[in-house]
Amino acid sequence: MKALAELLKGIRPEFDFSASRDFIADGMLDSFDMVTLVSTLDKTYGISIEGTDILPENFSSLETIAALLRKYHVAL
Amino acid sequence: MVAIESVSEVAEAVVRAKAGGLSYCSNVFTDPRKLQCWIERGEFFREEAGGAALFLRRDRDFWHLYFCAGSPTQLRDAVCAAPRLKTEPVVVDLVGREDALDCLVEAFREAGFKGYQRLFRMARIDQAGALTAVPSDPRVVVAGPMDCQSIEEVLLQSFDRRAEQIPLLYEIEAAVRSGQIWVARAEGALAGLLYFETHGLTSTLRYWLVAADFRGQRFGSELMRRYFEASNAVRRFLLWVVADNHDAISKYEHYGFLPDGLVDIVLANEIIRP
Repeated sequence: MKALAELLKGIRPEFDFSASRDFIADGMLDSFDMVTLVSTLDKTYGISIEGTDILPENFSSLETIAALLRKYHVAL
Repeated sequence: MVAIESVSEVAEAVVRAKAGGLSYCSNVFTDPRKLQCWIERGEFFREEAGGAALFLRRDRDFWHLYFCAGSPTQLRDAVCAAPRLKTEPVVVDLVGREDALDCLVEAFREAGFKGYQRLFRMARIDQAGALTAVPSDPRVVVAGPMDCQSIEEVLLQSFDRRAEQIPLLYEIEAAVRSGQIWVARAEGALAGLLYFETHGLTSTLRYWLVAADFRGQRFGSELMRRYFEASNAVRRFLLWVVADNHDAISKYEHYGFLPDGLVDIVLANEIIRP
């Protein structure tokens, strides 16, 4: 989970993701950031997140992102 | 063309399009609350063809095209097959990293669209901290209901309605109710305005202008100062600017905004003349 937090920090260094329960509602990630995050996750973990999974609810917290990665057999 | 009746109808069309190909592409980045508003007002329609879903949102005298498709080829075929896109004035915004948009631009060009305008996004990142208190100019105030009509008029006079997403009157009224527009008043006229949208820690500066007759009187800097002062919880400020508006770009740079790599390529169909 720490690696995931670091990865988010790399995309939006100005935000403290550990202080948020909902990155979308708190204005920390927008639709364009999600596209960047998907690309970063794909490269970092050697996966290909499908378009049908690019939904705000899958990127709203560290837990939901981790759950999405588990679906692609990524062990965190 | 069918009027859309619910946000879930849009979501279902997106899922179908995503399942239809391996190179999913879309410009549907709209906040669901905004979509709901368009639907309730009967402004939002859809057409589906092959593996693509096309959505049209009615603006004043033209349409905005939104799309999602399984691939750029499916998108091109759907755009070519949609009769409304041949007879009505339509613009489409392609938003993303410039190099990632090439195939979409090509798909639309093959379907008869041409370049209309190019914008890019600028960002300013703030650190937490107290602002220095400065005496306020009493001529700069939060806009009230009586300002809405003037705000719409000055926006339409000052910006390109096809490329810069000028809000409709009801959207301006909602922004005023939310305290998201500051105005400068002088000599009984609207001398300037600053229109923003704040969402949590991120705020988008949508429009900032001073009318020609009132320039050089520090209204612009006062509007910006008041905006930053009122946004002290915000950490990321964003804005979109027309790429060849060098005067505006230099002013934004003065306030610490820098390009963040996102572009908006606006294309128009043949009904619209530049």
